[in-house]
Amino acid sequence: MIRKRSVRRRLAPDAPEPEPSIEAQLASDTRLIPDERLRLIFVCCHPAVAPEARAALTLRLVCGLSVAEIARAFLVSEPAMFQRLTRAKRKIAQAGVSFEVPGPQAWPERIDAVLSTLEIAYARAHEDAAGLGAHAGYAREMLGLTAVLADLLPDEPEALAFAALVRFAEARRPARVDTGGAMVPLDQQDPELWNRALIAEGDALLRRAAKLNRPGPRQLRSALHAAWFRRRSLTEPPPWSAILALYDMLLTWREDPFVRLNRAVALAEIAGPATALAELETLDAARLADFQPFHAVRASLLARLGRRDEALLAYDRALALGPAEAERRWLICRRMELRESHHSADLPGECRGPDGKL
Amino acid sequence: MQYALLLYENEAIYAEADAPSLEAIITAHQALASELAAEGVLRGGQGLKSSDTATTLRRSRGGDTLHDGPYAEAREQLGGFYLIEVPDLDAALAIAKRIPFAGDGSVEVRPVIDED
Repeated sequence: MIRKRSVRRRLAPDAPEPEPSIEAQLASDTRLIPDERLRLIFVCCHPAVAPEARAALTLRLVCGLSVAEIARAFLVSEPAMFQRLTRAKRKIAQAGVSFEVPGPQAWPERIDAVLSTLEIAYARAHEDAAGLGAHAGYAREMLGLTAVLADLLPDEPEALAFAALVRFAEARRPARVDTGGAMVPLDQQDPELWNRALIAEGDALLRRAAKLNRPGPRQLRSALHAAWFRRRSLTEPPPWSAILALYDMLLTWREDPFVRLNRAVALAEIAGPATALAELETLDAARLADFQPFHAVRASLLARLGRRDEALLAYDRALALGPAEAERRWLICRRMELRESHHSADLPGECRGPDGKL
Repeated sequence: MQYALLLYENEAIYAEADAPSLEAIITAHQALASELAAEGVLRGGQGLKSSDTATTLRRSRGGDTLHDGPYAEAREQLGGFYLIEVPDLDAALAIAKRIPFAGDGSVEVRPVIDED
């Protein structure tokens, strides 16, 4: 009963932002045990809740993100997101959605919704390379949450693969920020800083998933991470062709502009920046307009093609979207480097690599 | 919690030669109703005659008008309802899955307004 009441409390109407709501206070309550969160996730991901509202509701109730943050993550307006959340909460409260974790017979139809939801939620935390933002603790909690899920669903390859993915992504965290506090792109990260214990855990989970012989997009996404881990030091070449091949396989599952954007980064290394930029221009610019990495990738491709003014504009667009601190520093350095490319000796020290190079 | 299970189906199916007869479906509904009664969850329900027997009254500022036919012309029409009392939506949906149809059909699961 107590548990049910705590879930019900979270379903109370949202206070108008930015006033801190009762939900925000509850979601930052660290006393919540993982099971409690899992229960709440199953409620938010109930098939009776509209698919487009499930992830948003989970981010709001389980992770305590603000309506504004969620709206930004989903590329919709704040009033639209507010309405979507209100409607979903009303539906759950009024329609008698159960507050218990469903029995195993209901898992197959629920698991995809739950995993998609957690994926979106985790991507939000992962975006912040330094892990200094408000959702850093939540990224670590995701390790525990996915472990619970992998235990509950040992025969669901996608659940195992997602647990592996979170481990792989967290394993790289020590290498994602340099001493100056700027983000380090994946191909420049020192493999010796990666957490090999977490990688081993992820590998074991991914192997268990593969043994079940039911391929899926999350297994491919985990394989994308795993491909990088074969690199043992910065002197070895980055595995771009393997990465490109995996992105191509991922696109056969579902067309996705965000996957295409990441693929373009690999494509630039294999086929050159002009080909990659041409690919970017085919994407739905309106949908990606508020997505900072789109402008960052575009800026770097334009810079490599010598289209300096356009590149500077693209960096400005990326910076205007208010990225996390590490990303902001990295973008500022790239922008400065481009502007001052004739006399690089004037660059501030924090924009240089450890060996004094840019 | 009480739920109304509203049954929508394509009535034209009963005119097709190879379709199960209306009597066969009614028998299936009677069987389900006695099962639900035995489980203690049935609170009511009825089958409705076909939608071409319906008369609709529309009230608007201009006054009341009558027209011959159902509220909305649609491929699937309301054909009956069950009223059940179960702990939650999942239990209501589980019962909805047991409802017999001659062909394609839909069950709208609507919570009933609490009396307390």
